[in-house]
Amino acid sequence: MLYLQLLVNGLQTGALYALIAAGFSLIFGMTRIFHAAHGATFTIAGFVFYEFYSVLQWGLVSSILASCVAAGLFGVLLNRWVYVIIQRHEGSFFTVFAASFGAAIVVQNVVAIVFGKGLVTVTTSLSRSVEILPDLYVSPMALIAVLAALLCFAVLHYLFTHTNMGVALRALGENPGLIDVYGLNPRQLGKYAFLIGSVLVVPAAILTAATSGLNPAMGHHVMMISIAATIVGGVGSLRGAAMAGLLFGLAENISLAFVDPQWSEAVTFVILFLFIIFRPGGFYGRAITS
Amino acid sequence: MLAYLQNIAVLFAINAILAMALNFIMGYAGIFSLAQAVFFGIGAYTAGYIALNVSDSLLLSMATAMGISAVLSMALALPALRVRGEYFVAASLGLQMIGVTIFSEWKSVTGGLGGLVGVPPPVIFGYTLTSTGEFLALATVILLAILSITALLVRGSFGRSLMALRDSESAAQAYGKNVNTVKTLSVAVSAALASLGGVIYAFYMSFVNVEVFTLEMSILLMAMVIIGGTGTLLGPVVGAAIVMALPAALTYLPFIPPGELGTIQQIIYGSAMVLLMMFRPGGLVGGRSKGKTA
Repeated sequence: MLYLQLLVNGLQTGALYALIAAGFSLIFGMTRIFHAAHGATFTIAGFVFYEFYSVLQWGLVSSILASCVAAGLFGVLLNRWVYVIIQRHEGSFFTVFAASFGAAIVVQNVVAIVFGKGLVTVTTSLSRSVEILPDLYVSPMALIAVLAALLCFAVLHYLFTHTNMGVALRALGENPGLIDVYGLNPRQLGKYAFLIGSVLVVPAAILTAATSGLNPAMGHHVMMISIAATIVGGVGSLRGAAMAGLLFGLAENISLAFVDPQWSEAVTFVILFLFIIFRPGGFYGRAITS
Repeated sequence: MLAYLQNIAVLFAINAILAMALNFIMGYAGIFSLAQAVFFGIGAYTAGYIALNVSDSLLLSMATAMGISAVLSMALALPALRVRGEYFVAASLGLQMIGVTIFSEWKSVTGGLGGLVGVPPPVIFGYTLTSTGEFLALATVILLAILSITALLVRGSFGRSLMALRDSESAAQAYGKNVNTVKTLSVAVSAALASLGGVIYAFYMSFVNVEVFTLEMSILLMAMVIIGGTGTLLGPVVGAAIVMALPAALTYLPFIPPGELGTIQQIIYGSAMVLLMMFRPGGLVGGRSKGKTA
């Protein structure tokens, strides 16, 4: 039963990781911007939801909307005011990365000043676990997490295969030079990539707020999971990022059966490390060139 | 007051050593490692363990720490040979997280979360170093030694190979540079130099604990190198001075509540990193712009 329980927990965590990683992978794959502040977007989305839902009591739908607006705005504005400016004079990956990292540090500490450094939780009866089989406890939240992930991926799939913008975005990831030739505007498309990618963290942030709680420093962990999952999944592949996110969620939980919980983060990074050494292209990656 | 200043000076020297070691791979070889704090930690734990269990000789500790770090740096060199850019940053991030877990869980050697307590003062040529002033002298000597080693290495053929590698790996290879050897060596040198900082730290604090070897430290070191200027000789030293001066300067500002000091300081680092990258990507010491590194 222990394994089954861990498997269920792993699925719940994995669904959230898949969503987070998909957002990062989308931004990185399409615009080639190593958006380390993706974790900060997550923190912002979670805390805005907490503020509106638990503190101001605005009701569920408007709180979710507020959270989406905050996340989307942060992503788009960071792109407009920082990344675009940096890329104007030089496109070095590390310059962008360091700036993004700086932004993540600023957000983490501003949130810590506003909300305090402790853990905040959104209380809901949905996160209470019910015993559905002998010794198997599942909360309705687990189901909601999996459904939310499936729904988001269905929408994304539709977006990227059936709309002009989605196709254009994929083209941007494949060959940015050609986008110009076809008369499309890469900067405009980059904005959409940031918007979609940033809003994608909202469900995960809200579900985390309702289950394990939020703290200002959690952006680090989110960022590391998204980077790891994007690389293990293969850069530019949403499907890969989602699978890798799921894999990390499962690995983190199932490893609990064998090692102490302190090691669970290390398990994630051992997987990442092995992938980078033996299969740097990831699950579905294109060949990478140096 | 003198003791306070000396204390700051020793910590500054340690940070400058670490930042210079990081700059060696980051600025010259184009290997952006977020795992520098791991080698700092390896140095500190090695020194602490040897001093507590084997002998309190400073030279023995330094030699062992450098050796162990250089060997373990292969874990960083391996991904560096395979991938570049984003991929390597991710790999080093992974190594950093694994390193912290090992530091806090390998209790028989590292003392777990409690750390190693009561590291005895080091002995060099029969003389025991105890006072802050003596440590300052030691740290300064090592800092200057590393400065000159870096200057020599960078000016020589090894340094030129490194920079060629950084600017274009394929071109360097085409000119007959052995890319793998140069990369592996540079990572090993950087790790060994960083471990020296760890050795001084362990003896100076006479206490080693995982808290200073975390990702935050790696980021801070990266910030020092970036703020000072990557790929410049004195940049990391300047960067270390600025980053270290910040907390001290902030305590004199009356309107900041003491409880928020650390947070405000972090916000300033963060904004400084963003603004520098936007308007002066070469750092304070470096040139205005360097249009390379893929």
